[in-house]
Amino acid sequence: MGRQSSIEKFRFGILPKMIVSFLLVSILPLAILGYIAGKNLEEVGLDALNSAEKMGRGSLLAAENLGAMAIKDSVNALDEKSTEAIELRTVELAQRIADFLYERDQDILFLASVRRDPTRYLQIYQNARRDVILPVPSAGPETPSPRTEPVIGWQNPDNKTSWRHHPPDRFNRVSKPLYREITFVDLAGQEQIKIVDGQVSRDLRKVSDQANTTCKAEDYFTRLVALERGEIYVSRVIGPYVPGWLTKTEEGIKVKPESAYAGKENPDGRRFEGIIRWATPVFAGNGEKLGYVTLALDHTHVMEFTDHVIPTEDRFAEHSDGGSGNYAFLWDDQDKCISHARDFFIYGYDPETGRPVPGWLSQEIYDAFKAGGLSLEEFEQQLPSYENFRMEKNGSSEQMEAGRVPLDCRVLDMAPQCQGWHTGTEDGGSGSFLIFWSGLWKLTTYATVPYYTGRYGASKRGFGYVTIGANVDDFHQAANVTKTYIEKGISEQSTHIQEAVDKAKQAIEQSARKNRGLMSIITLFAAVLIIGASIAISYTITGPLRRLTDVALAMSRGDLDQHIEVASRDETGRLANAFNQMASAVVEVDRMKSEFVTIASHELRTPIHSMLLGVSGMLGGYAGAISDEVREDLLVVEDGIERLRRLVDNLLDLSRIESRKMELYLSDLSVKEIIDTALTELSDLTMLHRHQVVAEIGPEIPMVRGDRDRLVQVFVNLLSNSIKYTPEQGRIMVRAQLEDGKVVLMVADNGYGIPAWAQEKIFERFFQADQIMSQKVGGSGLGLTISKWIVEQHEGSITCESPISKGRFPNLPLGGERKGTVFLVELPLSPAI
Amino acid sequence: MTMSRILVVDDEKTISSYLQRKLGKLGYTVVTAEDGEQALELAFAHLPDIVLLDVKLPKLDGYEVCKRLRADPSTAGSVVLMLSAKAQQAEIQRGLEAGADKYLCKPMSFPDILKQIQAFERSKATGEESREDSQHD
Repeated sequence: MGRQSSIEKFRFGILPKMIVSFLLVSILPLAILGYIAGKNLEEVGLDALNSAEKMGRGSLLAAENLGAMAIKDSVNALDEKSTEAIELRTVELAQRIADFLYERDQDILFLASVRRDPTRYLQIYQNARRDVILPVPSAGPETPSPRTEPVIGWQNPDNKTSWRHHPPDRFNRVSKPLYREITFVDLAGQEQIKIVDGQVSRDLRKVSDQANTTCKAEDYFTRLVALERGEIYVSRVIGPYVPGWLTKTEEGIKVKPESAYAGKENPDGRRFEGIIRWATPVFAGNGEKLGYVTLALDHTHVMEFTDHVIPTEDRFAEHSDGGSGNYAFLWDDQDKCISHARDFFIYGYDPETGRPVPGWLSQEIYDAFKAGGLSLEEFEQQLPSYENFRMEKNGSSEQMEAGRVPLDCRVLDMAPQCQGWHTGTEDGGSGSFLIFWSGLWKLTTYATVPYYTGRYGASKRGFGYVTIGANVDDFHQAANVTKTYIEKGISEQSTHIQEAVDKAKQAIEQSARKNRGLMSIITLFAAVLIIGASIAISYTITGPLRRLTDVALAMSRGDLDQHIEVASRDETGRLANAFNQMASAVVEVDRMKSEFVTIASHELRTPIHSMLLGVSGMLGGYAGAISDEVREDLLVVEDGIERLRRLVDNLLDLSRIESRKMELYLSDLSVKEIIDTALTELSDLTMLHRHQVVAEIGPEIPMVRGDRDRLVQVFVNLLSNSIKYTPEQGRIMVRAQLEDGKVVLMVADNGYGIPAWAQEKIFERFFQADQIMSQKVGGSGLGLTISKWIVEQHEGSITCESPISKGRFPNLPLGGERKGTVFLVELPLSPAI
Repeated sequence: MTMSRILVVDDEKTISSYLQRKLGKLGYTVVTAEDGEQALELAFAHLPDIVLLDVKLPKLDGYEVCKRLRADPSTAGSVVLMLSAKAQQAEIQRGLEAGADKYLCKPMSFPDILKQIQAFERSKATGEESREDSQHD
């Protein structure tokens, strides 16, 4: 059994080793090669495609660039024309404002010359009127539906080329008094005559006290004192600031409805209502200064100049649109906003305090203000003008939330265009520039209002300046349409190219996929082939090897007559051949050995027979009487003959065992009879050693199946061992008992025992007892080997235990000091039982 | 009781002559043969009561001799004790099949041989046929 399991250890066979190494050697490189080749093919295809795509895209780009250049040229041409037109419009607007203001100079001088009489003043008040466009309330029920204008076409064919016609505007115009106030003030600053709202007012105030003036902000009386005859005082625009709130929504910046009027963005909001006051001294005929006349111009009339101007082909609008960026606005000589599409941007005063509402600052500057201890007005006064104006800045949210965002260009540092206007109007005149504002390229024009009366004569900027903002894109809409066409064409072409490229890419990828698939199939196929080949090859090796193994194992079991078919002429064939030769040699050697043993034992028996005959005859008295001394000597000779005989028998048995020639003659046997036979055979020996031998085989012990002579031989061997190795007058016991369907026979003695290391060795052949004990006892060293073999042939077992453990064998009352030995023989029951 | 006539067949002269001397001294009539042919000749000439027959013999082996003795009516009743150095079960079996009354294995002591002879003489006297199993070892 041991031999078998030592062979079983070699489990990892040739086949898996072969498959793994074949796969590693062939499939792996194949797979890598295939992958690289496929990848390269794909890359080459894609490269070609990329070049084609690049070429296509290149030509497209060229077309695009050409188109863009053409468009740019036309755009530039258009821009120039439009810019010129808008510049001209700005200049003319500024001029008209100046003219209007100069007319007010005439009015004040005229007023100074008339009789100081309320009736006369009232007359003047009523005559000084001018139309203003009064927007129709947006939500009102009378909102007129958009009028359809009759198309006026050319009459004369000669007029048809570039015939253009614009219908007249249909705005709602209302006549409005030019002045809010006409007054005569005495030298002490007390109003003497006052016309307000078309009536003679009795509410005459002392205007030398600023608290009694518009918004508590007018200081004109102090200025009047210095005026000579014919000199004119003109105030700045004074009016209460109207707050307004801007909020950011998803659609853009919106004006909250509670805010001031803001054109289209908030048409129903409260308007900014300001005045500009003109004044001049009045003298008596004797040259004595009597007092002053003043005219408070309703600022609406000034705002009217810019409020309806839009720099598009519509030209004018009922409401301008602050959100669109296309509108006109007006700044005074101090760069304060005095007219705007959004009235909350107009610089005004707090009527409670008479102080101007400080201008809107960027968040950055406003944060700096918050850090300091000054009031906002003081802070702004000490701010340097036009410093660090940048588009990226944002207006301060605090001012926005307060709704107090009047525009003072001087500190409006998030609007760099302010600086442009300021710079451009420094020496009077006009101009324009482009600025990228609120995400749009915007043309902004400026033109000085050339009115230089009074304080406005202090600089060449005069009264201030008109600016018009215009979206550049609106100018060249036509060019843009062309651009759209070109872009559309290019985009379509680009799409075509993209589609073609995509298709080609798909084709390449598909083919690559196909290649990969094919490659995988080939690789798989190759793998299958290789595995198949491995199996086939390994079987040509392992098949014979396995047969060889089987045969060798059979031989080792003693079945020596083995032969392997030599099927191939390769190495395995040679191996099988060599094996066959070896097997034959082994068989021959075995045969020779058996023959030798047989012959030798036979040839030995004959002389032993002769010796035994002679000695036994003499001992038996058949050669006459012999002396005791001779008898004793003859007994020694007989003992030697007996040992020789047993040696020959055992040698023969061993030879039979090894050549498997010993056969068992089975029958049902009584255990008691076997033991009795063995004891009878050994009775002489027992007596010689003066042992006490006790055999206790109860009637309950059933029959066993076995070879009678052989089993007797076993017990003769075991008992003779015990007899010989137990010192004289020892005790030997034989017991039998049933255990798990087996008969267990115990042969126990109270001898010296057998050391543990030798308990298995004693069953090996030619093991000599003198290796474990000093006492020299004659023995062949084969008896136990043969016994073990016989018992095993009976499918039983034989073991040895020493010292005898009292715990396990309580029924073996052997006595004595020595360790003792027990042999245990297990035999299967007779199947008949 | 008349002493039996015994034919001792053995190619070993020392053995056959020893048995002839000792058995003769005890009163038996003993003839000896050294090979199978001689054994048959002497058997048919003397018609022995007991044949002590070795198996390994020149010319004709013991099995064959036994068979022929059994085949001939004149010798079929003789007691044949095979006495051989061949001690294997198969050989014993073969000897008994050839017609031997008993198969004895060499070496065997003289008193044992004598006991066997006497046992057959007794059984012959009581007229019983003894066909015990042979014994070896």
